[in-house]
Amino acid sequence: MYDLVYNESLKLIKRKRFYVVLLILIVLIPLFTYAQFRSAEVARSQIGTDDWRTMLQQKIVDTQNRLASSRIPPEWRDYLETQLSLQQYYLDHNIDPSSPGAVTFARGFMDQAISLFLPMMIVILAVDLVSSEFSEGTIKLLLTRPVKRWKILTSKFITLFLFTSLTIVVSLLFSYVISGIVFGYSGWTMPVLTGFTFSADTLDTSSVFVLEQWKYILMQYGLGWFVCMVIGAISMMISVLVRSTAAGMGIMMAALVSGVILTQMAANWEQAKYLFNVNLQLTSYLAGTLPPIKGMSLPFSLSVLSIWGIISMIVAYVVFIRQDVR
Amino acid sequence: MSEVVLSVSGLQKSIGGKQLIHDISFEVMAGEVYGFLGPNGAGKTTTIRMLVGLTRPNSGEITIGGHSLQKQFIEAIRHVGSIVENPELYSFLTGRENLEMFARMSGTVTKERIEEVIKQVELTEAIDQKVKTYSLGMRQRLGIGQALLHSPKLLILDEPTNGLDPAGIRELREFIQYLAHEQKIGVFISSHLLSEIELMCDRVAIINKGRVISVGAVHDMMEQFADHAHWFFTEQSIGKAVEVMNNCEYVYELQALSDGRVKCRMDTERIGELNRLLVHADVDVLRIESKTVTLEDLFLSLTAGTPGEEGENHV
Ligand SMILES: Nc1ncnc2c1ncn2[C@@H]1O[C@H](COP(=O)(O)OP(=O)(O)OP(=O)(O)O)[C@@H](O)[C@H]1O
Ligand SMILES: [Mg+2]
Repeated sequence: MYDLVYNESLKLIKRKRFYVVLLILIVLIPLFTYAQFRSAEVARSQIGTDDWRTMLQQKIVDTQNRLASSRIPPEWRDYLETQLSLQQYYLDHNIDPSSPGAVTFARGFMDQAISLFLPMMIVILAVDLVSSEFSEGTIKLLLTRPVKRWKILTSKFITLFLFTSLTIVVSLLFSYVISGIVFGYSGWTMPVLTGFTFSADTLDTSSVFVLEQWKYILMQYGLGWFVCMVIGAISMMISVLVRSTAAGMGIMMAALVSGVILTQMAANWEQAKYLFNVNLQLTSYLAGTLPPIKGMSLPFSLSVLSIWGIISMIVAYVVFIRQDVR
Repeated sequence: MSEVVLSVSGLQKSIGGKQLIHDISFEVMAGEVYGFLGPNGAGKTTTIRMLVGLTRPNSGEITIGGHSLQKQFIEAIRHVGSIVENPELYSFLTGRENLEMFARMSGTVTKERIEEVIKQVELTEAIDQKVKTYSLGMRQRLGIGQALLHSPKLLILDEPTNGLDPAGIRELREFIQYLAHEQKIGVFISSHLLSEIELMCDRVAIINKGRVISVGAVHDMMEQFADHAHWFFTEQSIGKAVEVMNNCEYVYELQALSDGRVKCRMDTERIGELNRLLVHADVDVLRIESKTVTLEDLFLSLTAGTPGEEGENHV
């Protein structure tokens, strides 16, 4: 199996798919960095350079006032208290929570990239892993060796999962290193709020807690990795089913983009929550954004994605092993 | 005498409700070149795809080196090297990288063996170039190299002379005969290039519309059709000519046709001798054709039911 995975990795690299992904990351991350830098500049110039302390103090007073009010519900009170202690913490430790450090940038990058950008990178890697063998005719050489078909597909899956993991690691590395040039490399221990849950369609803040940013980043990139693995499995199924790379690419792009559109439009179409492409925004559960459709939660989305991933793999294996090659 | 490396019996295949292969059976021995001859669309490639396990037959048994291809795929396919249709290799890899890749998949191929094969197929100079820079002939050779890498007992080649120039075809023919006769590999070659099969193969199966219509030693098949001569006479002298020819003991199967033509079989070396006799008898000989019957004639006569008119040599 090691030899097979070696072969597949060699092909993936020599086809320059992974270079394309690296190149895209290397070009786009500085672009995002610059955009972030500009918006920070603008915000700063509107408020005045050193004003973030006064702003934060103003916010703290606000929060204290709301806490003093007797009409707020108890969970909300807990949330505000956590928020208050966090704001106090920022002030005490002289941290500007809105100033982007490299770590904060990396966090923001994953929030933005998880539902479309990273999955697209994985589609580039995965979508022609099988179909190109068919379109180039090399499948005949691959399947007439003393190796079972399931092993060949497994070696392709392992290779894909290796490079998917590498893509995640590299995007963390790039976004940290590149944005750090502009924003500085601090921020690993900055505290972040998380632990939101959703009951019915409201945000439940009763279990919110403060986490150091590096732990938060770890969770985030873990979720990003999971999403990419599932997208990889689905792309692989498409690659087995569709013989043309262009068609496979089109199908996967359409699925991903329509997922983005659906998350904005499908709030009242509850069945849509079983589609994989509306369940990709896993990091917003960490950040406490309301999910696009009622009834979605982190465990729910994880289950939906797992099921899609597993079924895709089963379909890919069954078709690949049984099909006539001509 | 020698061992059977490939045995096919009762092979059938239909695709999309259309029966493409009807009940094909044959055997290939170690050390022989076995030709698989048929026109375009006869089902050669369809059969070969089944022989290498790319598609599954609807019924029938394929045994390679004593192992059933359907039941013991790994053991059976281990003995097979093949090129199906075109030699499609990874164009973005070098020739050597391609060979190394297949060596890793076979598991039993050493570095020395790779070098040996590169020498055999005469690609030493180009082996470290990307395959996309190769000419078709070089690709064919690399394809053969890839098929030979794991020292198979059975070599299956689907139209290997495609795209080769006459010198290349000649080289390939000699190489294949060397593999079969010296290395004792069983070679199974499909082609519609009849003249080439005739020169290359020891035995041949002729296939048309998914059925084997004739199997035999190439030599025997040639015998049946050898030694034809066609004579053309003026109308006044035809009766006389037939009379003279009937009196020759070495002329047989004489046929006088209405258009002044007389067909017969005879040793073509003696055409001059007979011609002298006819001239002496005052017969006007207009033209003589000796027919070198190729497998093509044989093939056309078997598939279409009428003897072919190709391969005429004017004397
Ligand atoms: N996938 C398919 N679906 C339907 N019909 C097919 C398929 N593949 C081949 N055929 C038909 O099967 C017949 C035999 O095809 P095959 O490719 O085996 O011919 P061949 O003997 O290799 O011919 P050639 O000399 O042109 O290579 C043809 O009539 C072809 O139309
Ligand atoms: Mg063919």
